[in-house]
Amino acid sequence: MKYFWSGVIVLLFGFLLADFLLGEPRVATRAGMELGSAPLAKNSVVPLVAFVHSLHGDSIGLTCVNCHSGAKTEARAFMPTKADCMDCHRLPLTEKPGIEALDSAMKTAPEEPWVHKNVLPPHVVFHHGVHAAAGVDCYDCHTARPGVEQDVYGGESFRMQDCLDCHRGVNPQGKFKPAATYCGACHR
Amino acid sequence: MDRREFLKLCMTMAAGFTLFGCRSGGLTDKLSGPALKDFEDEVRRAMAQMKPGFRLVKVPMPGEMKFSPADRENRFGMAIDLDACDGCGKCILACNQENNVPLVSESLAKQGRFMHWIELRDGIPTMCFHCSDAPCEKVCPTGAANHTPDGLSAMMYKRCAGSRFCGANCSVQARKFNYEDARSLGHAKQFNPQVPLRDKGVMEKCSLCIQRLQNDRMNFKANAGLAGVVGAKSGPAGGTMGGTMVGKNSWRGKGLQTACAMACPKHAIIFGNWLDESSDLVKEAKVRNLYAPEGIAKLDPSVVYMRGRR
Repeated sequence: MKYFWSGVIVLLFGFLLADFLLGEPRVATRAGMELGSAPLAKNSVVPLVAFVHSLHGDSIGLTCVNCHSGAKTEARAFMPTKADCMDCHRLPLTEKPGIEALDSAMKTAPEEPWVHKNVLPPHVVFHHGVHAAAGVDCYDCHTARPGVEQDVYGGESFRMQDCLDCHRGVNPQGKFKPAATYCGACHR
Repeated sequence: MDRREFLKLCMTMAAGFTLFGCRSGGLTDKLSGPALKDFEDEVRRAMAQMKPGFRLVKVPMPGEMKFSPADRENRFGMAIDLDACDGCGKCILACNQENNVPLVSESLAKQGRFMHWIELRDGIPTMCFHCSDAPCEKVCPTGAANHTPDGLSAMMYKRCAGSRFCGANCSVQARKFNYEDARSLGHAKQFNPQVPLRDKGVMEKCSLCIQRLQNDRMNFKANAGLAGVVGAKSGPAGGTMGGTMVGKNSWRGKGLQTACAMACPKHAIIFGNWLDESSDLVKEAKVRNLYAPEGIAKLDPSVVYMRGRR
């Protein structure tokens, strides 16, 4: 009985401490707060072999839509599934020594290797297809910026000012004519 | 139990509760939220606490908005057939589910302060009338309440600072204020992922299912409207502020319905485009007498009542 109470206390505090540390974080309640603290999606996987956009781009004649099938027509651009990758990668594509590591990584990859978490707050509407239809190219928005790794697309932090600049027709290239700027066009 | 053990127990419990209180998020965050039945019960309760109605006066058929920004092709609105409506309240529940309208606490419910965007007043479904000369928008200090060119009195929740001036200036009390944080109280349920949940201290009201309009317009412009959008780029400035191109390929919101209109078993609520002669809304409204509450009748409402035939 000597250690009974200490045991109870340790057990209780252990549970509470675990709950305190591992419990789900409180939901942010004001504008934009969700963005910075967004945790990675639970089923996201760090790829064993890094994906390099430049190896999959113009050099082999692929466009964004070949893998991101919704980019020109749908609201979301979509991430490719493993099946999409395997369309090409079931064949030995190069002689480079790295290809074996890639092949084995592909074998063990889950069906949906990339889980993209939508970074748009729920009150913002963005439709890729509308912008594509208006002649906006993917890289007009998705370009590498200072401080952003050259190969990362889609991870940019877009600000409303970026949207508005273009929609007001003051985009640097003067490429696009003004578009809707009333609140209800993009917010709900 | 001796004195020593009793004190130990007290200390342990006090420390435990303190630590539990310190953790991020309360107990309620863990709950999955209210059940559908809670929403049904609340609608029933709101109907039992029926509010008095408004005096209705005749209004002309809504046409193009007289106030900027106005779209020449689209002005969305509704007509509610009071001869068909039997006040069943199914529209209220459908609206709550479509727009994730939260429940309210007992203290607010007692005062009749439900968040429902549609309420029955004297048996008549009443919601925001989307006046084109909206008094609520004129007094908004932050511009959160504003108008879309296609006739919606829209509400930008993230801009709202909660002054409640808009609610005070609305003569039909269509605006509902989030007195409490519905999410942390476990009063909110996200039935529809397309609509964001509102924060505490934000005004909300009927949006005329703006999410459905936005989705449909964007899908149209991305696919079927492709030719129209590209064609207008080279031509003269044919677009309005809404971005809708005037012409054969323009978007008119055909086939769209609000949640309440879809839920109405008597088809008493008709949603449509007031500027589209071929819409059911215009066809029906042409042969009926149109009414609106006296307080907003002169403000060119987009939502009207129908009663009797012309």
